[in-house]
Amino acid sequence: MISTLLHTPLFWAALTIAAFLAGQQLYRITGNNAFLPPILTGIVLVVCALESSGVSYSVYMEGGGYLHMMLGPVVVMLAVPLFQFLHTMRKQWLRIVLAISLGSATTVLCAVALTWWWIGDEAIVITMHSKSITTPVAVAITEQVGGISALASAFVIITGILGALMIPPLLRMTRMNDEQTLGLTLGICAHAIGTSRALELGPQQSAYAAMAMTLTATLHALVLPWVIRLW
Amino acid sequence: MSGLLILLVFLLLGGVLQQFLHLPVPASIIGMLLLLLALIVRGSAPSSLKQITSVLSPLLPLFLIPVSVGIVTQKASLQEHGLALLAILAISIIPGALVSAVIMSRGRKRG
Repeated sequence: MISTLLHTPLFWAALTIAAFLAGQQLYRITGNNAFLPPILTGIVLVVCALESSGVSYSVYMEGGGYLHMMLGPVVVMLAVPLFQFLHTMRKQWLRIVLAISLGSATTVLCAVALTWWWIGDEAIVITMHSKSITTPVAVAITEQVGGISALASAFVIITGILGALMIPPLLRMTRMNDEQTLGLTLGICAHAIGTSRALELGPQQSAYAAMAMTLTATLHALVLPWVIRLW
Repeated sequence: MSGLLILLVFLLLGGVLQQFLHLPVPASIIGMLLLLLALIVRGSAPSSLKQITSVLSPLLPLFLIPVSVGIVTQKASLQEHGLALLAILAISIIPGALVSAVIMSRGRKRG
């Protein structure tokens, strides 16, 4: 009976939703702790369930695929916030575009160069390119260019957690922590998790972070596939 | 519901354009840019689209769990490189954050 249940796709879809809800609860109970984004708890719980039941990832994905399918429309949806930000950024667009393109290029190049030097595995190097963009876009790009989408997602989530922790003190130390700079930098280097950190810091920070996150993702989605072909 | 239909139609358009022009860019990104273009031409976002956005946005992390759970297929590579990867991710944030912050705050002081 249990084995039938473990091979029912809907069971795994339901379990994934339950794991996410548990993650949201834990996040709320711990006072929105940046170490515990709901997605992280959700992933850990589902991984534990798979490990303890011995069910393979491909069996899991027959159910997980129901949820995964929604990523396409969700990426298209990002046009809506981006459209709303166009108005805000009209006055400072050059500075914003420069900060986003040069800042994100710097962090990606550093990561790629270090990976090449320390690890040298081609698939991991390709995957590292997408570490600074919000996960749905990172996954779409990685699938497109032949990286490992599961690793891409892990890189993005870890980058987000580290960025949300490191960036506010780093900018305070260098005295560049005005609201707009802090928000923008969080969005560029720590995408969605940085943006939710910015939400706690204030409305200015949060608007700039969300804008920077969406623009960074768009820019990378357009440029990365061509860059990776060049290597 | 018509908001969801709009998203699916633009996703489909993105896919068709990608196949047709042999673009290396993901179909969903092309769909997003087409939708952005349509919104700019229209001048405002229809309320059905705003509604589906507010419904789907909080659920975004949920849709990402299945692909992320794929990490279980990468145990070997994580055992070998896990710490190095963590260090790379932590170190590479610093120069990127400084470059973005310098450009953004310099520009502000002059302006």
